[in-house]
Amino acid sequence: MSIKIDVSLLSHQYTKGQQVVEVNGSTVGQCLDHLVKQFPSIAPCLFDKDGKLHSDIDIYANGKSTYPEELAKLVKDGDELHITFLIGGG
Amino acid sequence: MLTRDELERYERQIMIKGLGEAGQEKLKRAKVFIAGAGGLGSPVSMYLVAAGVGTIRIVDHDRVESSNLNRQVLHWDEDIGKRKADSALEKLRKLNPRVEIEAIAETITEANVAQLVAGFDLIVDAMDNLPTRYLLNKAAVERNTPLFHGAVYGFEGRAMTIIPGKTACLECVYRGRITPKEKFPVIGVTPAVIGCIQSTEVIKYIVGIGELLTNRLLIYDGLNLKFTEFKVKKDPNCEHCSRLASKE
Repeated sequence: MSIKIDVSLLSHQYTKGQQVVEVNGSTVGQCLDHLVKQFPSIAPCLFDKDGKLHSDIDIYANGKSTYPEELAKLVKDGDELHITFLIGGG
Repeated sequence: MLTRDELERYERQIMIKGLGEAGQEKLKRAKVFIAGAGGLGSPVSMYLVAAGVGTIRIVDHDRVESSNLNRQVLHWDEDIGKRKADSALEKLRKLNPRVEIEAIAETITEANVAQLVAGFDLIVDAMDNLPTRYLLNKAAVERNTPLFHGAVYGFEGRAMTIIPGKTACLECVYRGRITPKEKFPVIGVTPAVIGCIQSTEVIKYIVGIGELLTNRLLIYDGLNLKFTEFKVKKDPNCEHCSRLASKE
């Protein structure tokens, strides 16, 4: 299944400017694993040492939050994921 | 009733269809509380004062430091070492002496937040940390007062408008999570963009025109110059707002 992940907020640090990455997977977790395979340096930015998604990350699927399923959330062909980070500066 | 001076001063915005003299009178009667006189608080307060919002209370406990000046445009080199509240009051009064402005140099805490926001129609979240944002959110929900959220990091920013009882609140979306308390990177134009979005929302809410940024989290990506919107919804188990029955 082809899923698009919008990694715009990470593109200048981790994906050589590529804002959208095509991945395969049936769940959000599988899609992120495929993203990491293509861009290994992105892994610490997404996951902790135990492979758990960092708590300040929100994944949106087709514009809607995947919480509380997050990594277990099922996705289908053509879905679009966005990775965002909690920020608090002002 | 607007004075002749006010009609002249605000002529160009009174010309906007849907705003008019009636909208300007609403702005004049409005009382807006601004939490923070820093990167976000600077553009928010300057544009609301310039637009003729009648009463502003701005709160910030910090003093001006040199490293603030890349973004906190209310404060200048000559203000280094001064209390931000004093510096802000001086500039905002000069910008528009018609506006009643009060600047308070206090830390917003659980103990004083209700007292600080009492009597104000709207609350603008221009803070630099999430714990205080949650205090403001809770106070806004408890008082049924609209809250205008903004946050920045680097070239990235976000904004959302909260109408308690009707739309998702900050706790619904962020679920009490916090970020490490540390010096964060930021370029001045980012809070300028987000602060102006917050001010736009405040003006629209007061005047009663347009579509508010409710149940939508807007994310600004300055490096790629993209705005992306995400749908958010009220959490029926939200610790802050679930007690308020949805009016939608």
